[in-house]
Amino acid sequence: MRGWDGLVSSALLGTERRPPNFEELPPPIQQQLSGEPGLLDAAALATLYKRAGRLPLRGVEPLPVAEGEDRPLPRPNAIRRLTAMLTGFQSAALGEWLRIAEAKGWGIPPEHLPALADYARGRAEYRPLVVAAAGRRAAWLAGLNPEWRFLHEAVGEDPELWTHGNSIQRRAWFRALRQRDPGAALDALGEVWPTEPASARAEFLGVLKTNLSGADEDLLEQALDDKAKDVRRVAAGLLARIDGSRYGVRMAERVSTYLVQSQGVLAVTLPERVSKAMERDGIDAQAHPGLGRRAWWLRQIVAAAPLPAPGILQLPVEGIAAEVLQAAWAEAAVREQNVEWARALLRHNAATDNRTSELLRVLPPDELPAAIEHLRARIDLSDLVGGLPVPWSASVAELVLDQLVKVGTARNWARLAGIAARAVPPEALNHPITREPTGEEDTWRSRLVETLVFRREMYEELS
Amino acid sequence: MAPDPASAKAGQAQARPAKWSRSGSSEGALWGYCQGSGKQPYQTMVDLSGPAFRCSCPSRKFPCKHAVGLMVLWSTGELAAADEPDWVESWLTERNSRAERAAERAEKKPGEVADPLAAQQRASRRADRVSAGMAELRSWLDDQVRRGLSGFEQRGYDELSRLAARMVDAQAPGVAGAVRRAAGVVGRGHGWPGELLEELALIHLTVSAHSRLADLPPATADTVQTRIGWTVETARVQAEGEKVEDDWLVLGRVVEPDDRLTVRRLWLRGATSGRLALILAFAPAGRRLDPLPARPGELVPAVLSFYPGALPLRALLDQTAPRLPAAKPAGMSARQALASYVESLTADPWNERWPLVLQDVRPARNGENWALVDPAGDALELLPTVDPWKLLAVSAGDPVTVTGEWNRAGFRPMTAWHTDRAVIV
Repeated sequence: MRGWDGLVSSALLGTERRPPNFEELPPPIQQQLSGEPGLLDAAALATLYKRAGRLPLRGVEPLPVAEGEDRPLPRPNAIRRLTAMLTGFQSAALGEWLRIAEAKGWGIPPEHLPALADYARGRAEYRPLVVAAAGRRAAWLAGLNPEWRFLHEAVGEDPELWTHGNSIQRRAWFRALRQRDPGAALDALGEVWPTEPASARAEFLGVLKTNLSGADEDLLEQALDDKAKDVRRVAAGLLARIDGSRYGVRMAERVSTYLVQSQGVLAVTLPERVSKAMERDGIDAQAHPGLGRRAWWLRQIVAAAPLPAPGILQLPVEGIAAEVLQAAWAEAAVREQNVEWARALLRHNAATDNRTSELLRVLPPDELPAAIEHLRARIDLSDLVGGLPVPWSASVAELVLDQLVKVGTARNWARLAGIAARAVPPEALNHPITREPTGEEDTWRSRLVETLVFRREMYEELS
Repeated sequence: MAPDPASAKAGQAQARPAKWSRSGSSEGALWGYCQGSGKQPYQTMVDLSGPAFRCSCPSRKFPCKHAVGLMVLWSTGELAAADEPDWVESWLTERNSRAERAAERAEKKPGEVADPLAAQQRASRRADRVSAGMAELRSWLDDQVRRGLSGFEQRGYDELSRLAARMVDAQAPGVAGAVRRAAGVVGRGHGWPGELLEELALIHLTVSAHSRLADLPPATADTVQTRIGWTVETARVQAEGEKVEDDWLVLGRVVEPDDRLTVRRLWLRGATSGRLALILAFAPAGRRLDPLPARPGELVPAVLSFYPGALPLRALLDQTAPRLPAAKPAGMSARQALASYVESLTADPWNERWPLVLQDVRPARNGENWALVDPAGDALELLPTVDPWKLLAVSAGDPVTVTGEWNRAGFRPMTAWHTDRAVIV
């Protein structure tokens, strides 16, 4: 505004030294000044004149519109529950809320996305859920806030993303394609293979685990000669999963030279050395803590080879501790998801090298309760069920909750109760334990019941 | 001070410095930890203004021997002067605000003045003090302008803070607040001299208006009184304030937590009258505010009683029926919204906040900050301190209707509607 700067400099220097010059001010202000106006009288008028004359900004470009549709929102009480979890109440159930909403086709109230994105920023397991929840807003918000870059994982089908996207978008695009069309994904990877850096080669190779088949064998064989150790390791691991692969044949041949079954005894000869060919197939020549070098080589070979019939487990072993072989078979059984082997290893109380939970997961759900009952004589119940995927099957949940009903208030059950609170599946949330009275000092029991009831209500609201 | 001779004797026994740790005294209080028979030492404090006492010991005597001991120590000069520790300060603050509330309650007993003569004397005493304060302020302002503000970058903050304290003494808390705000401007950014001049000019305007109070239209005189810091008792507002009955749409709320006091501003708009209204709520820091009469975006059927003034905004709410759901409200373009603010300034030149309802605005980047653009391409900037992310996520680039507070530094969004769903942003 005209004349204002003059008023400011008069005020700074003092009117004694620089008397204000009101003539510079806009005429409407001058007309209002009467008598012997002081600097502050004029400044007050000028201040209001300035404030009243304020105009909107021009030339500001609105943000582009996020493309796509919005899903319908769930009922208000479900939204209120989400709000409560975001402010810290029962927030451990947040992921479950998101999973149910996703499965039922509900959208997320968009005003909660910033809090959810911040929450998932440091918790990778939540990211896919938040990406799905964000819907059309995911990439849009990721473009505006660098802290939410992971939201770029929202996949478009645009092949441009594969050639020109950032690393997050490329990985997401490739994973989605592999899911949809494994062959096309293999071709896409083959095209860029020579020009990708080693870390990307290893990462993309890892994605092939989805829908793995004999079609992938050639590329994986080629990757066994890769300069990067990580790439070779991933390739060997994948080849061992392909039925009837050349890799499997090579491993089986090796096994047959070291393990000979005759007259009801399994006679073991240990490898003398690791050949170049063995190293190429991923056998690690380095020493292994807790195991002799040669025994370690044998164990790797057996673990990477196709499994024989499980009857072999019954044979007495000569030449090495039987546990070495058992651990190797356990590893192979998990890799092959071989039910017969898992059943046999668990029943024989075989050495599984901490793979008990993984073997349990291989069993059909209806066999689980019996297997758990059998194992709990040796292994703590919470260790057994703690490694099972969540949610548990209803039969496991009932086994555990029935047990907890019986144990009173003893503190040493708190850990199992903590695990069960999150792992019980929706169909078992109405277990009688939720209707039993809990005392104030019953800390773990009341917390368990509170969580079960909370989750039950959550399922009802989102149904 | 002791309740009985036995306590006095017991108190004497506590009056040994060796019994106490982390003890001290300030102008208003004494405190310390006294080792008793238990593991934890007792926490003792005395508010000298009462005097009032508090001690964590289980004694039912009041004051207990620890408090008596502390006072004896103090009277013999054995308590060092110190700043009040947090636990003492928070107790004093709590007591103060309780005393204030009690005084307020006593003051506003409707239609009943215990001693009208005394009340009148009190009022005229206060008027005298305010007048003296305004005179002091006027000569201070004239002095500064004559000699120049150029040294202010160094001395301005302290000088203005002292002046603000003087205005509190003069029972003109409103002006004191304005002076404190001016202090906050000093030295901030390179445009501070201009901003300081704006603040001082508006304070000067208050002072001038006060000297012509009798000549002003009554509503304007009320506004000036409010600026200075006269509060109108709620009983009077309820009895005499302008009454408007309507279904009031809750435009939004702003909560400003402070070290001492949390303030909540709830903005309303009458569904038929179109009148704007402001409901203030206060709570001591850390305490809960009263629950909202309705959520932003809902309607409260109510009678409002407005405080007097040239721009009657502040009101008391008397809810007449349960709250109701409401659809997306109609709003204004950026240009119309600014014009409504200007209109408010002609009624109350000191008006700092004005509620706006912006219709169909889209978020935009404005340099480092954000703005909302209307369909005509006119934009209002968001306050730089505002967290924009909820608003951005709700809009996703689509036009939204947004309510907020406007002041000359920018727009502070409160509630947004994308469809008919109101969302607090």
